[in-house]
Amino acid sequence: MSELSLERGLAALRAEIDAPVAAFFSSCVRCGLCAQSCPFYLETGDPRYTPILKLEPLRRVWEAEFTLWGRIKRWLGLGQEVSDAMLAEWEPLVYDSCSLCGRCSMVCPVGNDLVYMIRKTREGMVQSGHAPEGLVAASVRAIRTGSPMGLQWKTLAVQIQHVERSTGLTVPVDRAGAEYLVMLSSMEIINFPEYLEAITRIFDHAGVRWTLSTQCFEATNAGIQIGSKDIAAELVERVVVAASALGVSRVISPECGHAFTAIRWEGPNLIGRPYPFRVFHIIEVLDELRRDGRLHTEGKEADRLSMHDPCNLARKSGVIGEQRALMDLVAEHFVDLDEHGRFQWCCGAGGGVSSNERAEPLKLAAFKRKKAQIEAVEPERMVTMCATCRTQLEEGLEEFNMDIPVVGLTEMIAEHLVERPAAEPEPGTESGQPA
Amino acid sequence: MSDTIEVDGKQLAVDEEGYLADLNDWVPAVADVMAKQDNLELTEEHWDIINFLREYYEEYQIAPAVRVLTKAVGKKLGKEKGNSKYLYSLFPYGPAKQACRFAGLPKPTGCV
Repeated sequence: MSELSLERGLAALRAEIDAPVAAFFSSCVRCGLCAQSCPFYLETGDPRYTPILKLEPLRRVWEAEFTLWGRIKRWLGLGQEVSDAMLAEWEPLVYDSCSLCGRCSMVCPVGNDLVYMIRKTREGMVQSGHAPEGLVAASVRAIRTGSPMGLQWKTLAVQIQHVERSTGLTVPVDRAGAEYLVMLSSMEIINFPEYLEAITRIFDHAGVRWTLSTQCFEATNAGIQIGSKDIAAELVERVVVAASALGVSRVISPECGHAFTAIRWEGPNLIGRPYPFRVFHIIEVLDELRRDGRLHTEGKEADRLSMHDPCNLARKSGVIGEQRALMDLVAEHFVDLDEHGRFQWCCGAGGGVSSNERAEPLKLAAFKRKKAQIEAVEPERMVTMCATCRTQLEEGLEEFNMDIPVVGLTEMIAEHLVERPAAEPEPGTESGQPA
Repeated sequence: MSDTIEVDGKQLAVDEEGYLADLNDWVPAVADVMAKQDNLELTEEHWDIINFLREYYEEYQIAPAVRVLTKAVGKKLGKEKGNSKYLYSLFPYGPAKQACRFAGLPKPTGCV
């Protein structure tokens, strides 16, 4: 990424304008519903955070170069130019105040996919040198070390040892011919090692042949967050190479929501060819095991539980019923948040917001929407299935002095597995209280 | 910030943000010198966190970001210390960044 400049930024914006973008801009009726769907706008009341306004640099390029009226205005000297100063002003709008949650795209009455256009606008921001420092650093680390945190296999190896010690099971590594390759995120490895422990237990229980790969263990995608197709494609390519080397037929995305979007939906287009394997989120895999009768659980959580749907999983990928069917297996007293599934509200941290220090106050402001939802339901604990959402929920709840622990659904399932080898079930393990 | 700090009469290299360039240069006096630069007096409570970070890095080979630190401290030293309000009260410039710097670790990094 040498010599980023306004010219490169404008060229990138121009190149990103395709038929859908042109149709979207010419369809916008300026109704402002997108503002009403955006947690960043709603919780700050700042009109600059109206989603369609965040796209103004892209819209100006579209108008000036792809519309007759725009050309006439330019010819008359009335065109609105996109300057370096403008892009600098828009950087916090395009990055800090957008978690790519996609709620605006869902509610737009004329069907404009705003989040698709934010993603495209970010390509121009990167090329013009207007991407947030935190995301630039994470992208550089991802390319250099394979992890946006700079986390190495040696750290994962320590966690594998912990898991093997506490479960008495082997975590399979580089096992050719396994059915599933499990990808992780650095956050899962370092902050939620219970996830690795849970899948180790569950897959042993269900007889799933799986493996990790030393060649590539991380599938979060800083390129998608920052808006760089080249970086995104390189990170996807590494997963494809590792999966192909082991000959797996299925790849499990990290729990991390945007990683799922990257590897599940954007990947093949980024690398320009189909995958030789299929991609699943762990929740989809667990629900398939449940449906196939391969998950044997006992006892249920007795406290009042609610659930946060990650945007990328529920709204963008339609995985909604699966986590509820799994909850039903292990929870007696589950209550959904009022707006959930496709209509859920973002935690406020996704889309690169959490790796952008400057966005901290906005991230916390956007969380207030989630907070209000949680307060309305008064759960004793929250359940979720994305490391970024979970970190944000924990941080936000702590900030507002709400004593509501956040747990991962996968771990909760693992706690209720019937011990496999011992034929006699242990008596009195009715409601498995979490440790 | 200068590119070296003087500790026990020796010049130790630091990066532009004040983190030790070489982890192996660390001695407890490094923390004292850095704390003085930040106008902070190190107490036993600070040292609990600094020592914790040294051990953490020894095991995991990574400097923990703030949420990771908070959680890890909670697991090891108890919930009353594993919360960001307590940690910020000790390290006002950010518990992960400031404490990692005092402990001679690299700057902690977050996820995307």
